[in-house]
Amino acid sequence: MRRPFEGRELFRQLDEIGSKSLPVVALAGAAIGFVLSLESRSSLVHFGAKSMLPAALIYSIIHETGPIVTGLVVSGRVGAGIGAELGSMKVTEQIDAIEASGVNPYKFLAFTRILACILMLPLLTLAADFCGVLFGWIAETLVDPVSFHRFISQGFVGAHFSDLLAPTFRTAVFGLIIGVIACFQGMNTKGGTAGVGLSTTSSVVLSSLFVILADVVLVKMILVFFP
Amino acid sequence: MPPEQAVFPHVEERSATAPTARSASKSDAPAVVLRGLHKSFGTQVVLNGIDLTVKSGETLAMLGRSGTGKSVLLKLIIGLQQPDSGSIGVHGQEITGLPIDEMNEIRKKMGFLFQNAALYDSLTVEQNVAFPLKRHSKMSESALRDRVKELLSSVGMEDALHKMPSNISGGMQKRVGLARALALEPSILLLDEPTAGLDPITSGEIDELILKLQKEHAMASIVVTHDLLSAKTIADRIALLHEGNVLLQGSFEELEKSDNEFVEQFLKRDS
Repeated sequence: MRRPFEGRELFRQLDEIGSKSLPVVALAGAAIGFVLSLESRSSLVHFGAKSMLPAALIYSIIHETGPIVTGLVVSGRVGAGIGAELGSMKVTEQIDAIEASGVNPYKFLAFTRILACILMLPLLTLAADFCGVLFGWIAETLVDPVSFHRFISQGFVGAHFSDLLAPTFRTAVFGLIIGVIACFQGMNTKGGTAGVGLSTTSSVVLSSLFVILADVVLVKMILVFFP
Repeated sequence: MPPEQAVFPHVEERSATAPTARSASKSDAPAVVLRGLHKSFGTQVVLNGIDLTVKSGETLAMLGRSGTGKSVLLKLIIGLQQPDSGSIGVHGQEITGLPIDEMNEIRKKMGFLFQNAALYDSLTVEQNVAFPLKRHSKMSESALRDRVKELLSSVGMEDALHKMPSNISGGMQKRVGLARALALEPSILLLDEPTAGLDPITSGEIDELILKLQKEHAMASIVVTHDLLSAKTIADRIALLHEGNVLLQGSFEELEKSDNEFVEQFLKRDS
């Protein structure tokens, strides 16, 4: 029995969706970490809770900021890429040509992209989390020098592995949403270049919207199952 | 009519024990049989009860005005679209409503040249031709490369192996599309406007190429074209589509002798 996907195409998509999204996701994570650290510091100092900064920053990044920023950045970059690529293939009959060759285009084009999104989102989230924490520490240490080791030790006091695991893996659901929506929009493109533009826009808009909605639902579920 | 009940007269004539197309003996069945084929898009009726038979080794050219459903007919035969009603037999097997895996097995016996060649623009010429072979054959890498070279050389494109489709001309793209369509050694070749948009010299070269390939591979071919000269050159038989039906079918000479007003108009425009 044939595999339900094409190995080489999957690796190409892992590279396209994962490796090539890494710089922008890392940059977004770093910027968020840096800004969060700067903004939180003044408030915490005001309440005399400056020592809480590492924990507040790390908790915020790992639980919410890292996953949602990664989800939204990938929605924009990958959602647009998949929507435009598959949309162009649809209007130039390349998808029909794949089908006419006796190859299932859903397995070849859609399944590989969706699987790559599911596998890559948690890894990209870890990268965003790491950059966020690193640049949060840099922002803090520029004002009040502290070693990275101490910053991390203070930040993870009282934290459990599930604090990292559940929020990170909920981005696999974001990957599923982005992949399914972008592939559906792309493969159902109608018309010419205007249709490609429309499916690209709707891929980005719908995947961003559903990532935000899924985030709300999943956070609630995580709070129920990992109180 | 549900696919299970679809009846092919030619099959019944040959086998009294075979009441349905799917259970029929397939060895001596015509390559393609269309019976009562209807297809509409919204309120627009494109095909209104088409009946056509294409024998193995025969080349049928389909002529007709733009929008008469010639390309739709080809897409129905290869299962890219489904008819509203009617039956499509390929080598004696009813294909309407087939599950996708079974349909893919049938598609391996067909080659399709799209109107704009539809080459995969992210793949090189070599990878385009290798695409169906990689997925449906167990060739070694070296055997696959040799087969791709052989196919490209048969269409005169052996020097374009590593070029991208965007870097070759429209005529060259058609040639590569033809090589890709022939990759799995199909018994049925479907050509959608093989000479459209090409200059007369390149059109003539493509016609010669199709004739050469037909001679070498003895396939049944259905060629959709607006080019009367091309149809006259490559086809054994012509079918003229008009208002969703086959208005006339026969040799080109029979077409020329027809006193039907539409046929006269159609031929006069080109002469």
